[in-house]
This record gives sequence, structure tokens and C-alpha cells, in this order.
Amino acid sequence: MKKYAILFFGLICFGSLEAQDRNISGQVSDALSGDPLIFANVTVEGTTQGTETDLDGKFSLSNVPGDAVLVISYLGYITQKVELTDEDFYDVKLASDAQILEDVVVIGYGAESRRNVTGAVSKIDGDFIGKLDPPNAAQALQGTAAGVNVSQQGGAPGSESNIRIRGISTNGNNSPLIILDGFQYEGGLNSINPQDIESITVLKDAQAAIYGTIASNGVILVTTKSGKRNQEAKFDYQTFYGIQETSRQLNLLNGEEYALLLNEAYTNAGQQSPIQESLNQIGEGTNWQDEVFSRAPISSHNLSVRGGTENTSYSLSGSIFNQDGIVGEEKSQFSRRTAALNLESDLRDNLNINTRLFYYSTQNNSLNDFGLGSVLFNALNMAPTIGRDVDNLRGQIDLGNEVVNPLTQIRNTFNDSRTNRLSGTAQLKYDYLPNLDLQVRMGFNSSFTQNRDFIPIFDYGPGKVFNRLEENLISQGKINDNDYTLDIFNTYKKRFADRHDVNFMAGMTVFRQFGEGLFGTSTGVPSNDIQFADIGTATGAGDDLNASSYAYDVRRLSYFGRLNYTLDEKYILSGILRRDASTRFGPNNRVGYFPSATAAWVFSDESFFPKWKNLDFMKIRGGYGIMGNDRIPDFLYLALLTGQATYASGVDNSLINGIAVGPLANPNVQWEESKKANVGMDLRMFGNKINLAVDYYRDITANLLIANLPISGIFGTAAPGASGPTINAGTVRNQGVEFELSYSDTWGSDLGVQMNLNFTSINNEVTAINGGDFLEGGQFGVGQPAPSRMEVGLPIGYFYGYKTNGIFQNLEEVRNHPSQLQLGAEAQPGDIRFMDTNGDGEITPDDRVNIGDPIPDFTMGYTLNLTLGQFDFSTVLFGSFGNDIVRNFERDQPNVNRMNYRLNRWTGEGTSTEVPRATVAPTANNIFSDFFVEDGSFVRIQNVNIGYTFPDRISDRVALNRLTVYARVDNLYTFTNYSGFDPTASTGAPIGGGIDFGFYPIPRNFIFGVKAQF
Amino acid sequence: MLLKNIPMKKIVLGLSLLIFVGACSDDFVDVQPPYAINSETFFEAPEDYDNALIGAYDLLQATYANTILAEIASGDVNAGGESPTDVIGWQQVDRMIHTPINDNLRDLWNFNFAGVQRASFIIQNEDNIDFEGKAQIIAEARFLRAYFNFELSKWFGPIPIKPDGQFELGEEVSIPRASIDEVYRFIEGDLQIAIENLSVMSVEPGRVNQMTARALLGKLYLYEENFDAAATQLQEVINSGQYHLYGTQGDEDFADLFEFEGENGPESVFEVQYTGVQGAGFDCLQCSEGNVLVGFSGIRGYVGPVFESGFGFGLPRASIYEAFEENDLRRDLSILNIESWAEENGATFNIGNQDPETGHTGYYNRKYLPRMNDNQPDVNLTQPNNYRAIRYADVLLMAAEALVQGSGSDMQAQEYVNQVRERAGLDPVMSSGQALLEDIYRERRLELVGEGHTFFDLVRTGRAADEISGFTAPKNNIFPIPQEEIQFARGNWTQNPGY
Repeated sequence: MKKYAILFFGLICFGSLEAQDRNISGQVSDALSGDPLIFANVTVEGTTQGTETDLDGKFSLSNVPGDAVLVISYLGYITQKVELTDEDFYDVKLASDAQILEDVVVIGYGAESRRNVTGAVSKIDGDFIGKLDPPNAAQALQGTAAGVNVSQQGGAPGSESNIRIRGISTNGNNSPLIILDGFQYEGGLNSINPQDIESITVLKDAQAAIYGTIASNGVILVTTKSGKRNQEAKFDYQTFYGIQETSRQLNLLNGEEYALLLNEAYTNAGQQSPIQESLNQIGEGTNWQDEVFSRAPISSHNLSVRGGTENTSYSLSGSIFNQDGIVGEEKSQFSRRTAALNLESDLRDNLNINTRLFYYSTQNNSLNDFGLGSVLFNALNMAPTIGRDVDNLRGQIDLGNEVVNPLTQIRNTFNDSRTNRLSGTAQLKYDYLPNLDLQVRMGFNSSFTQNRDFIPIFDYGPGKVFNRLEENLISQGKINDNDYTLDIFNTYKKRFADRHDVNFMAGMTVFRQFGEGLFGTSTGVPSNDIQFADIGTATGAGDDLNASSYAYDVRRLSYFGRLNYTLDEKYILSGILRRDASTRFGPNNRVGYFPSATAAWVFSDESFFPKWKNLDFMKIRGGYGIMGNDRIPDFLYLALLTGQATYASGVDNSLINGIAVGPLANPNVQWEESKKANVGMDLRMFGNKINLAVDYYRDITANLLIANLPISGIFGTAAPGASGPTINAGTVRNQGVEFELSYSDTWGSDLGVQMNLNFTSINNEVTAINGGDFLEGGQFGVGQPAPSRMEVGLPIGYFYGYKTNGIFQNLEEVRNHPSQLQLGAEAQPGDIRFMDTNGDGEITPDDRVNIGDPIPDFTMGYTLNLTLGQFDFSTVLFGSFGNDIVRNFERDQPNVNRMNYRLNRWTGEGTSTEVPRATVAPTANNIFSDFFVEDGSFVRIQNVNIGYTFPDRISDRVALNRLTVYARVDNLYTFTNYSGFDPTASTGAPIGGGIDFGFYPIPRNFIFGVKAQF
Repeated sequence: MLLKNIPMKKIVLGLSLLIFVGACSDDFVDVQPPYAINSETFFEAPEDYDNALIGAYDLLQATYANTILAEIASGDVNAGGESPTDVIGWQQVDRMIHTPINDNLRDLWNFNFAGVQRASFIIQNEDNIDFEGKAQIIAEARFLRAYFNFELSKWFGPIPIKPDGQFELGEEVSIPRASIDEVYRFIEGDLQIAIENLSVMSVEPGRVNQMTARALLGKLYLYEENFDAAATQLQEVINSGQYHLYGTQGDEDFADLFEFEGENGPESVFEVQYTGVQGAGFDCLQCSEGNVLVGFSGIRGYVGPVFESGFGFGLPRASIYEAFEENDLRRDLSILNIESWAEENGATFNIGNQDPETGHTGYYNRKYLPRMNDNQPDVNLTQPNNYRAIRYADVLLMAAEALVQGSGSDMQAQEYVNQVRERAGLDPVMSSGQALLEDIYRERRLELVGEGHTFFDLVRTGRAADEISGFTAPKNNIFPIPQEEIQFARGNWTQNPGY
């Protein structure tokens, strides 16, 4: 018996040695930053035993079975299972789960969890940007973020975009600040490879005040992708090829219709008909739009590798992108090569370094894109009775001095622009004491641009302004732009008494931007051939050789601090103060202070909050802040003698140069000041499936810098090279409501839906202009007064012209109406009737009123992502409502071609109440009136994408982790009543925008692509 | 976290970073613009005055605006252009229906005041330093200021003036429009100082000399109807012997007077210089170094010998062509009959504006048509033809008028008139008194067609209402001040009567 007892006890002992209960302890921390994870869950698998880590991330468990497996989990991290070994202490590092990191938002000099953000912030995820894959990363913001309106400056390859956040708040530069990985980036979003973007965050209200004098137009924070710790190298390759075509062609007259209307116009003026051939012989004529538009390819390749070890992560990527133009093909093309390297490492436990290096190279050929004399302008105005191969218009019908054969124009355009840019940043984060860390960041940009433009000798026809009959011209330019940023900031984070979370950040930024440009021109390129087009080989001499240059150096010194205080994780307060000193401001106003305060209340955490079953989270937030805009030309406070003083003298009348005053000085010039107020609410419902953010905003921008302020001519501002002073003289207000509603849900592992709807209303009004009643700008027609104004009580850049009231049907109507002679000619039956809006019995320029404005009343965006099994489908829609456009591409010349709405012209009493008679006699029909203003409201299907991901068994067979093929259409269709090419066409100028000179339309792309991961 | 637990290394690092942060001061942003000069440090060396003087001469090239509009206003010339609404400002002046909203009148105001301002810039700094030759430079600046002010007074009547120097911001609401008499005295003062200090002969072709200033002063007195003073000044010019009528000496050919051979010739008392070597664009017509008047006067779509094409503005009417006698050499040298020229030379051309009141007449301003040359584009804006602002023939006729109207000798006046007639291949006149005055008026019209003087001659002699259709006296004697200027002055300046 004793033998068995010993065996039994031995077994028990032996057994319990292996399955013996133990006390273990450990620490759980973030694999990347080393931060302890507080309140992480530590459970024993298969049991109910478990605990949470404490404030230092430490945990201890007693009586744990020896063969237990610990399950450690934490929100936002990949759950880890740890088998117990002989060790008593377990140091567990959890790796972040990228998907749930969506909850973390970059906010400028730091990041914040979405829950704690107190300002109005929109975020667009990198995966979505990668799926949209637009040629210009800015287009990813259209329709995806509330309050952001993106329009292209025409659809030509390489064209820049205009980004406006919450309306137009200045008559100067409205572009928001772009911060790329922490440093100020002036290169434009079209030089960033969209596949390299991890996320884009848009700061719309007082939250942006941390950027002080550069923040008043909003801030766009772009974060690029970095590597991943503890991951073996993962390769991503993506390629696509597509065909672009024009999304729209205008309805013009064909040959017969043109001849018919032209002859009628001359006959109505009592003159001889210019076209003698019979209409049958003319037939359709040349369709110039067909000749000028073509299908052009677009393609891209992107390869990246990302990975990391325990202490280091790396990311290396490269891309090639090519886009030919739908007008001009390779004469209008854009290509971009990028390479990016991101390396980050924990040099020590408390020292982390992150370096990024970007190289971009772009090459761009462009045509005369928009305006009087552009290729499309010529295609719209060329007479269809002229054959496509007629290069020289001598002997043809007189089309004025600007209209030439657009095909010839394309053939004779030779220009080339190349930019090479190298940017980099090195960031050091040093956790030198518990709760304290210091970050030092250095960023730099260096870019070299060279331009070459060759205009050969050519005769387009008698009197054409493009003619070069004697000499060709070669112009070259080389520009070097540099800037560097140095940030140093210190963050203190601590939790007191388990209730008070304090985060205090203070720092400074030094920014310097400097560069120079050198330009030269010469004539006499040998053989009139592009091959030899260089100033070095050109034979021009003496006055035929010209050179000019410029240099600049601008600096900014800033100090800032931000204090965040959270009580019980329910009441969140944030205060920001920034001090900026900038070279751009006069010595009297060199320094500016920009404070702001934001607060939030997590209402749903309150005990008295009614527990509605489906309402998970509700936060109310508000903020008020003051920000600045320093984007004005340099040295406005000095009367620089940069004017032009050139005369001809001596027996040979050679040029002599002197010195004269340039822009008049304003020693008191200072930044524009924007006061932004925002209140909003964030809601999450139905298990976080539905997210709703609603905001009301009210932004008032004062001290608007009005450059070349119109002042009396007695001050000599009309002299060559001179201009009026830049004066802080205006105030504009933008206010409205914004909401972002998103819904995401999954059903099983096969079906997932994600939808986002956003809406923004904009009410823009100028509230003051000091020193004047209004400012003018913009251009309409030739020799006509300015069509756009900035005036108190009206939106900025509204259109100021005559109101029309139908067509005079007979002589009696003409006689009963006040005389229209002051507008240029007495009215006749068939002419437009202008309204006597001020009721003084005369039609005079005082009868001009507000006839529209280019700022939309509201914009909407909708995105949908659907996954069904192996398929995924996504689409983006964008709509803008209430914006007006001026149709300014109809040249006011007797013989040019016209749009076919002119077929509905008045030919006798009662025949038309909308389109005036065709005539070449003097009339007032072509002055700027609401006849030329159209409703530019539109809804555009921006993107439709269908993808198929091959099942694992197939992709494994080709040694790929993942293989996806997709087909996409960009700009599928635009629903609009606008008769021009593109309702978003605009120069983006605050006063003078919204006027369509015949912009290059946005192409419709049909793209097929492949994504592989291995 | 007791301090002693923290290694020294960290403390040193932390402190050094703090010091670094504090070390950057606001001096960092105190920067002078690289490679730039500003007006506070200017006028400290003799070259500065020379360079600034070039700046003042520069604005003379913008006075093309004065010439073409004066021709269009005169009643002898149609606006022309591509259509009856091309350059609407000019079209309205042609029909005498112009209003204070007129881009071209505004350009005129702006360009000429810019000239005044640039000249005043030099004059207000005349006491900064002393050097040899300073008096000459200041005198040239005074002449230029007087010239621009005289132009402004012809067009707009009473204008704001500031003898001390440049207009300063804010003065547009305080400095009033001085009366015509005050303006004339101001111009007279500038010209008198100029006369005292200018060299008798030009330093360089195109620069003004003492005779230029006397000619302008004489013209001023003539406009003021101070005939004796006018006669004195103008006869000084005539008797200096520096000038003669081109084509009357040596192997000069009258036909070359307005060709490149005739530039800066013995007839030019004052000639505005232009050159075609630098390109220009429509965005800044006043910046062009070429004569914009010439390109605008050119024949539309012209292909043929001798001339180049242009925009077809400023078209002489049949009435002026037919006013010449058949054997008057000046007729076909001043006015080109395009139909016969095209037939003789196989040239072709287009017709733009066909309106009977303002459009194609079949005639062009031959004096200032573009000649074939290799100017830079935009070729319509960079024609190098110099503008003969004051010609000896004009001086002779002005002197004659002053003598007849004043207490001078009618015989002497007759002799001057006959010099001009003789060169034109005509018989001398024998008239005197009122008849001679009529002859002088007629000769002025024929001799100076296309040069921008006729309109003002008609206004100052009270004949405008009879000769110009649509003209209403006294309203149209001067032109309206631009609407924008009335607004800028905030009630300080009132509009000219009738507008």
C-alpha cells in the first residue's frame, strides 16, 4: 500500500510540477513605441481567469496552471497568445492592428484618438486613396471630405488643382497649407504618388491654429506610408493602363448651318453675303473638335516593399506614371517618377529615429491651355468651311487676329518643363524622462525646374498675332527653390489621480524659403528646328539676347504651445497659442499671436445620459480660434525700385534701361486674420456601424490683403512695372452647416458595405472693404469692363452685369423701352432687351447688378464601398449646387463659328424670345449680361471601380499572397445643364473665378489594372 | 523621479536643447531683399538721376493713346477696327457718345499721370546731391512733367497738380482740381526753368533741348490765346537755325519725312523714340517699346510691298482726302488710298468694321502705317516708327497763327505759311487778316492730319461744333474724368459738366 501511496503522491507531485499553479507577472507594451498598454486584458485561455494591466502596463496572475496559455488583447492591437514557459515574468509586445488605427487622427505636432479630437477634422484613408488612384492626389479629396471643394485648372495632364476648404476666405491665395509628414510642403499635391499616402487629414477649424499664420485657409496633413514592425518584407506591385477620352464635346454649328447663319448675319446688316458656295456643296464641313480631341493613354506602375524587425521598420517604393493629353497627345503630356524611402528605428529604448527621403521627377509638355488663343478656343471658333489641312489662313474668310488652325498650332508648339525635387525629413523622438518626450525634426525641400519654349518661324495667315515671320524664339529658364524646416517640441503626458489626463506640448519652428530663377531668350535657332533649340546654338545677338533673374529669401520663426486636459475621459479641453514672426510683414507688424480654444464633452459617458439602445457614443464639441494667412508677395513694406524704365535712344534707337518705382509700399502690411468658430457633434450608433458628424461653422477673415489696390491714377500705378500698394482692407465671412454620415457593416465574411455621405453648405459674404466700395477683377470678352466684383453684402467674386428681359419682337417694343444707345448701339427688333434695374428711365452702366456668383450654395459627396465575396465595388459621386459659370469662349467676331443654340435665333416677330438675331451690325448683344451666365450646378460620377481578388488557392499557385484585377472608369458622367466643357472650370481666382475661357475638359478614363502582393 | 536618479548626460542634453530653443531670436526674420534697391537709399549718386530720367522718358511711349484718340475724335478720321464694337471706348468717342466709363480715357489719364509722377520723383530729390550736369537732368525732367501736364489739361481741363513733388497716398481726397489758369501757370513755370537750364542742342537724338521747351511753351501760350508771348517763343525756335523743313535742303526727299530715313531729322523739334527689338503683349500696352499707334493703324490682313498689316483703326475719311488739292504732294504721302495702291501693287487686304459712320473708308493713315521691318512679336505692338510730337512745320504754322492773331506782322506770318505750302508743291497765298487765319487753319488741318492735333485746334478755335458731327459745345470741349477717379476722390473732384 505504501508503495502505491508513494507512486500516487509522486504522480500527483510530478503531475503538479508540470501542471502546478504558479504566480506569474508581466508587462504589456506597444511593440512600436514601447509605451505601456494600460488596462490591457490578460486572460487564461479557456477559463474565466483573467486580469487587466495597471497604469504601468504590468499585470500579475496567481494560481495559473503551468500549461496555461495567456491571451493578451487590447483595442487597436493584434491579440497575442503566450504559452507559459519557465519564466515568471513575461514582457509582451503587442503589434498594432492597422485597421483599428483608423481611430487615431494626426492633428499637427502629434496625433490624437478620434474620440478625443475636439475640432472639425476629416480623414481620408490611404487604402481608399490607393483605390481611387487619381493622377493628382488632390482629387482624392473631392467628394470624400465635407467642406473640401477641389477643382482642376483644366483637365490637361499635369494641371494643378484648386483646393478650397469651407468657402473662399481671401481674395488672395486660398490654397490650404499642406503639411507632408510634419513639414511645410510647397510642391503641390500633384507631385506626390497617391500610392505612397497613408492618410490625409483635413483640419478645418480652430484645431488648425497650431499652425498660426499659415493656417487660415485650413490645413491638409498628408502622412506617407511607413514600414511595419515584426513583419517580413511584403512586396506590393500595382499597375494600370487606361484610355482617356474627352468627357464632353460642345454642340457647334456644322458647315451648312454655319454658312446659313453667317450669310443671314451679313444680309441683316445690309452687307454682301460672304459665302457664295451653295450649302449642299459645303455639307458637314470640318468638325474641328473631332480633329483636335483624340484618345490618349494613361499608365502607371508602382512597386513597394515594406517590413520590419522588432526594432526597425522600413518602406521603399517607386512609381512611374505617364499621361498623354486628349488634346495634342504627346504635345500635352505629363510623366512622373517617384521614389520614397522611409526608415525608422528604435536606437535605444527611449530613442526613436524616423527618416524619410522622397525624390520626384516630373516632365511636362503643355499646350496653350485656356484663354484667348488656346487650342480649344481655336477649335471652337474655326470656321467649319475651312479644311483641316489649311495651315495658313490667307485667302480664307477673315476670322480676326487670334483664331488660327488649332492643328497647326499644336504642331508648332514646342515646350518642355522638367522638375526634379528632393525632399527629406529626419525626426528624432527622445523619451528622456517618464511622461516627457522631446521631438526634433528637420525637413528640407530642394527643387530644380527647367523650362524650354521654342516658337518657330511660321505664318498662320495675314495679321495673326501668333505669326513669327522673321525670327524664331527660344526661351529657357532655370529655377531653384529650396526650403527647410526645423521643429523642436516637447510633450508632457501624465495622468493624475486616475481622473485627470494632461498633455502639454510646447515648441518652436524655424522655416526658411529661398531660391532664385534665371531666364534667357534668344532668336535665330538654326534651321528653325526644335532639335537645335537652345540659347547656346541660337545665333541671335545684341538686342536679340535677353536675360533676367530674381532671388528671394523668406523666413518665419514660430513658438507654440498646446495644452490638452481631459477629466474622466469625458470633458476635454484644449488651448493653443502660437507666436509667429515673418519676413513678409512690415517692421511695425512683424509678430502675430494666434490663440485658440476648443472643448468637447463626451455626452454619452454621463450617468444621466439616457441609455438608448442604439446610441453608442455622443460627443459635443466646439471651438474658437484665430489664425493667419501670410501668403503675400515679399517685401511689400519697402518701395522697391523694381519698375520698368526702358527707352530707346541714340542714332540706332537701341534700348536703354533705367530705374523706376515698382509696387507702392505699405509699411503697415500685416497678415490676414481669420477668426473661426465651430460647434459640432459626433454620434456613433448601432454598434459603431453608423457615424455621424455635424458641424456649424462661422469663419470671419479680416485684414484681407488686397494687392495692387485700385487707387487713383495720379499715383503713377499705370507706369510699366508699377502697381498699387497691398493694403489690409477687407473682411469676408463664410458660414454654413456640414455633416458627414457614414455607415459600415459586414454580414459574415462575404458581404461588407461602407457608405459615406457628406454635405456642406456655404454662405459667403464680403462684410467690409476699407478705402473703397468694391474691387474688380476677371475678364470677359475683349475690351469690356471687368465682370467680377468684391463688394460689401455680396459673395466674393460675384458677377456684375446687365439683367436681360427677353428679345425685342417689334419696333413698338423698342420704342416703349428706354434707349440702349449707351451700351454701344440703338436696339432693333431681334436684339436683347436689357432691364432698367434702377428705374431711372435710361439703360446705363448703373443698371448693372448681381447676376450670379461662382461659389456653390452647397456641395455633396457620396462614396460607396461594397465587398461581395471576391468582388469589390466602389464609387464616388460629387455634386455642387448653386454655382454659376460665365460662358466666355464665344469670340465676339463676325465670322467665327458658333454654338448651335444660335440656330434658335430671332428671325421675325415671335420666332424667339431667347436668342438674338444674327447680324454683323453693331449691337449691344455681346456685352456682359446674364445671357452669358449659366447655372453650373452638377453631379458627377467621379469614379466607378470593380475589382476581383482571386481566391487564395489561385494566388498561392503563382506564389502571390494576393492578386486583384480591377476595372475603373473616372469621370463617368457629369449631369449638368451647363453648355460648356466642364462646370468646374475655373482659374480659382477669388475675384474673376468661375469664368470659362474654354478650359481643357476633364478626361473620362477607362482603366484596367492589376494589384499583386507577394 | 528624484533628480539624483537622472544621469548627468540627460540633464546636459535637456539644458542644451533649451538654450538652443531660446537662442533663435526675431533677428532671424529681419532680412533685406536680396539684390534689390529701394527708394529710401536712392538719389545718392549721379547715375541715379540719369536712371530715373530714363524712367520718366519711358512714359512718352505710352502717349500713343493720346494721338490715336485725338485723331478719332477729330471728325476727319473713323475709329475703324474689326467691328463697330471693337475697342468700344474709341468707337464711342468717334460718335461723340462717350461717358465717364471708358477704358481708353482711363488709360489716357493713368499713363499721363504716371509720366508726371515719374518726373516729379526726380524733381523732388533735386537737392540731395550736387554734381556737374545735374541742372540739365532736372531741366529735362521739368520739361517732361510740363509735357504730360499739358496733355492732361488738353483732354480733361482742370487737373490736380502738385509742384512740390510726387502725389502721396491720401492726397486724392484733399488736393483739388486746379483751375485751368493755375495749371497753365504751373506748366509755364516748369518750362521756364527748363529753358534756362537746357542745352541749346540735344545731348542725344530724342532728348529734349532748349528749343523743344520753347516750342512747347509757345504752344501753351497759343492755346491760352496769349498770342504775343507765343509768337516770341516760337520765333526763337525758328530763328535758332537748328531746324528746317525736311525735303528743302541737300538731297532730302519730302517723301521720306515719315519713313525711317526721316527719323530724328532736321524737322523734329521733339520726337518720341520707339524700337521694335523687344516683345510686347496686350496685358501691358504702356510697357511696349514699340509704337502701338502704328500697329493699330495698319491695314487689316494686308499682304503686299512696303507695308505690314495691322488692326485697321484711325481711318481717314474721304472728306479729308478730298480737302487736299490734286497736286498737293502731302495728300498721298499722308493718306493711303488702298484701292488704287492695291491695284497698282497687287496687294490684298481685308476689311473689318463696315459701319458707314465709324468703319472702312478706303483710306489709311500713311504717316503711321507699319513699314516692313523685323520687329519682335507681338508685331502689331512693337512697330519702331517714332512719333513726331512737335514738327518744325507745326512750329511755323503756330507762329504764323500767333502773329496774325496778335500784334505781330501778317507778312511774316504769310511767309511762314508759304514755306510750308511751297514744300507741299503748292502756290503761295497772298492773304492777310481773317482770310490768312482761315488759310492757316486749313494748312494746319492738311499738314498735320494723322498726328493728333486737329481735334484740339478745332476746340480751341471754337470750330468743333461745326466740323465734328455729334459734337456738343461746350460739353465735348473736354473729356469726362474717368468714373473710377471720381469714386477714389470721394467727392473731392466733381465731374466735368454735362457728363
